[in-house]
Amino acid sequence: MSAPDLARLYDSTALWAISPLLALSLGVLALLLVGVLTHARWARGVVVAATLALAFVLQAGLLADPAGTVLDGTYAADRTSALWGLLFLSGTAVAWLFSLSYYTEDRPYKVEHDAMMLTTPIGMMLMAGAQDLLVFFVGLELLSVPLYALCAFRRNRTRSVESGLKYFLLGAFAAAFFVYGTSLVYTATGTIALERLREVGVSSPLALSGVALIAASVFFKISVFPFHLWVPDVYQGAPTPVTALMATGTKAAAFAFLLNVTFLLPASAAMTIAMIAIVTMALGNLGALVQTDVKRMLAYSGIAHAGTVLLVVAAALAGDPQPHGALDAALFYMAAYVFTAAGAFGLLALLERDGEHFTSLDSLRGLAKDRPYVAAAMTLFMLSLGGIPLTGGFLGKYLVFYTAVRADMIGVAVVGVLLSVVALGYYLRVIVAMYMQPAAEGLLRRGETSPVALVPSTFAAAACAVLVLLLGILPGWFLQQLG
Amino acid sequence: VSLTLLTFLPLIGALLILFVPRGQTPLMRLIALGASLVTAIVGVLAYTAFDGSQAGVQMVESAPWFVLPGGTEVHYRLGLDGLSILMVGLTAVLMPVVILSTWGHVHERVKEFLVWMLVMETGMLGVFLSVDLVLFYVFWEVSLIPLYFLVGIWGGERRLYATVKFFLFTLAGSLVMMIGVIALLGRFGTSDIVELSNRAAGLTASQQLWFFAAFALAFAIKVPLIPFHTWLADAHTEAPTSGSVVLAGVLLKMGTYGLLRFGIAMFPAAAVKASPLFMALGAIGILYGALLAMAQTDLKRLVACSSVSHLGYVVLGMFALTSAGLYGGVLQMVNHGLSTGLLFLLVGMVYERRHTRALDQFGGIATVMPLYAVFLVVTVLSSAGLPGLNGFVGEYLILLGAFEASPFWAVIGVSGVILGAVYLLMATRRVLWGPLTHEANRKLTDINAREVVLMLPMVALVVWIGVAPNAFLHKGEASLDLVLRRVERARTQLAAQATGTPEEVAATDALAGDERFFLDGERSLRDFYYHPSPVADGRFFLGGQRSLRAISYRSSDAVEAGR
Repeated sequence: MSAPDLARLYDSTALWAISPLLALSLGVLALLLVGVLTHARWARGVVVAATLALAFVLQAGLLADPAGTVLDGTYAADRTSALWGLLFLSGTAVAWLFSLSYYTEDRPYKVEHDAMMLTTPIGMMLMAGAQDLLVFFVGLELLSVPLYALCAFRRNRTRSVESGLKYFLLGAFAAAFFVYGTSLVYTATGTIALERLREVGVSSPLALSGVALIAASVFFKISVFPFHLWVPDVYQGAPTPVTALMATGTKAAAFAFLLNVTFLLPASAAMTIAMIAIVTMALGNLGALVQTDVKRMLAYSGIAHAGTVLLVVAAALAGDPQPHGALDAALFYMAAYVFTAAGAFGLLALLERDGEHFTSLDSLRGLAKDRPYVAAAMTLFMLSLGGIPLTGGFLGKYLVFYTAVRADMIGVAVVGVLLSVVALGYYLRVIVAMYMQPAAEGLLRRGETSPVALVPSTFAAAACAVLVLLLGILPGWFLQQLG
Repeated sequence: VSLTLLTFLPLIGALLILFVPRGQTPLMRLIALGASLVTAIVGVLAYTAFDGSQAGVQMVESAPWFVLPGGTEVHYRLGLDGLSILMVGLTAVLMPVVILSTWGHVHERVKEFLVWMLVMETGMLGVFLSVDLVLFYVFWEVSLIPLYFLVGIWGGERRLYATVKFFLFTLAGSLVMMIGVIALLGRFGTSDIVELSNRAAGLTASQQLWFFAAFALAFAIKVPLIPFHTWLADAHTEAPTSGSVVLAGVLLKMGTYGLLRFGIAMFPAAAVKASPLFMALGAIGILYGALLAMAQTDLKRLVACSSVSHLGYVVLGMFALTSAGLYGGVLQMVNHGLSTGLLFLLVGMVYERRHTRALDQFGGIATVMPLYAVFLVVTVLSSAGLPGLNGFVGEYLILLGAFEASPFWAVIGVSGVILGAVYLLMATRRVLWGPLTHEANRKLTDINAREVVLMLPMVALVVWIGVAPNAFLHKGEASLDLVLRRVERARTQLAAQATGTPEEVAATDALAGDERFFLDGERSLRDFYYHPSPVADGRFFLGGQRSLRAISYRSSDAVEAGR
């Protein structure tokens, strides 16, 4: 490609469209440079915060003034992808804030940690805006590769390394599936651009098997049946702030893409997808019910939530009369979920003592007495995960089932709703432990950290709590953005 | 009188308490009592300002809340009508009593207790005052949480089991109702309850039945009706006294209130079809609850079982779908709140002194606690339906109404009255009279001034309703008449569809679209449709001509009018 061609491709609209991505990339580079300065450690935090803030502002600007599809039709910077982008950036920011006071023995390598963490939203945003299968793949890898490393970041912990390895092996498989699926689609249709695929349609057996492989790969990332088995181990072993990032960001980005490519799936798949969603919800909820470790329990609950959102995809396939209904519901649900789950994982990170087992249900006992605000915030997050009104989780659930009912899947909706009663069974156990059971004998909670070090995580937790409440009590603004 | 103020006053009190430093228990109690008293005053003002001759929603306060994708506008909208007025009054009056009663048995984590109590009051008032379906649903589910904590933290031995069971049972119902809410909103594009009631009446009977099922399940669990009653005995037994009082006094009424507002008023044709089933469930509940109560050895469990029995009356009366039954059912909701609330208070008082509730631990208490004995006897007689006290009026009207609809279930219900007298009086005898056999009982002190003061307003209401029920019945009159008219129209339509000629069906179909039935509070029309006639069994209680119209309403007139 000649220089003038490139210049035409990267015109001002295109630069505006990818400006948040550029900001993040430059931020990562700057961070690596600043990391060399051993006498100015404070500058690292400033760089990360400034990068995230700049990207956020640019993304918000894109929401007000969308750039449309750019770069030869491969990347869409419309309102939807801008909303997703804001969500990814918030999720990353929360995870990063929680990571500030989390690490002790691995603290010397915090720069690398932060650089990798800052890379992930680039991947997520590419995934959400991708109008081309390969662009999505690039985004997927930009997200996944840093995450593999982040999962194994605590090199001296067996669980962390195990988590990284498991995630990497299975993730590599999923990536291979995706690429193979893409190649089949390309062979059958001669294109990998979503726009073209929409025109020519995918109906040949070859193309459909390609789509099936792509779907399998995406299902792996959003962790639905039967590709959900890696989740509990990986989530439990990874450092908790990383888990927060994984649980929220990866899932949201994969859903953003899935909703973009729903048209690839044949309409006859609606019932199959609905069944997958139901089975996922059942497995997630029943799995969570027997856990004694809160982190693992939240991992299973994440599976169940993925199943719930998948209902929306099924509804869209079954013919939702409202054109953007499915997307709106999924976006709102994920927004609520991102802040709730990130907040919950973050609070666990706050309570953990150097990553040791302070995430069991027993260790939460009597928390309401020692740390009343942490317990109150955790209660809020649990209720939001359970979909109780006045929290974002409720309206999210409402919209998802609204979509399902609109698509005439009432039976599925009723089963789904009853499965979420099971979910309350284990969310309540956390509240029971914190408020209604006395602290276990000889339990020492993390107390030696100075209050100043906890400021970022406290701020992040408070922000999550406020947002969860806002989404529940005054959802008007957000719903308007969707409409 | 601002209904928003009424609803959120307790919440303001709760927020104030949050800022009181730990250890200042008296101040917290004072704030809680003050907040609930001011709420009660506002509630009574609203009650007196309410015009019972208007069927429509009054004192409406409305503000846009948010717009759902698809364009359905959800409002923050509060209002009072004849279906809710008595429940609002009951809630407002009962709560100061409940809060005053916590002086005796809540000594740990007082702050949180009072905060939850006041939050619960806001939730309950919100449920009764909401005229927006989404708002109603929000209040409905949110009011679950305070009781969950009240039982779970301050409850008895098996409190964790009881509280989780309570939460999950109710939630299962609520979530099925959520599907109903979603479908209803999706169909009509509005969340205003009045508007929805008007439009839902135009649905065919089979459509209504689906919606009815989704809503009624939630309410049946809350009441609780017979197959769903198992959570109640556990929750009651484990709850702290004040929790039991609120649970029996108000929270369960959210179920019967829901059945009335959403089951009967919104889906009248479905209610007509489901009436035999619900009457049967109500009557069986009466009998089963009474039999359970007879077998109990724990005083509190006995009261809890009697509660199942007494709520059976409410359902039996309401689903008789006759004038007397409906009026009786609504009044019995208040009666049950008063007398069962009092019973729980009295059980709590003796438990605070003796730390046991086993029936065989008592006997001869009357000699050491004479004042207590007086209150217990009055309460028991009220609960057993002695003429002159409130229980009689409600039960009589209910049985009268039920007899019109189904003599068989009415007879079953009557046997419940007898059994009720049996177990209540037997329990009273075993507690109060006979020789004072247990040494520990000799040292019991009689109830103190605080306990007398807190029970007096309730006892006063017990007598007042017993002697002059009309004052209370009239408040709901116009709205209940409207509900009855809707039911009658549905009945006419169903009958015409079953047997009628095409012309008759067409006439009733025309009736379905007849706006006059929607005009809540259009008095001239009422006067036109209702012919006073002396079919007046309920005369004594309903009094006045206007109520009689409701009884003598003849369906043929409606068909006539439709032509």
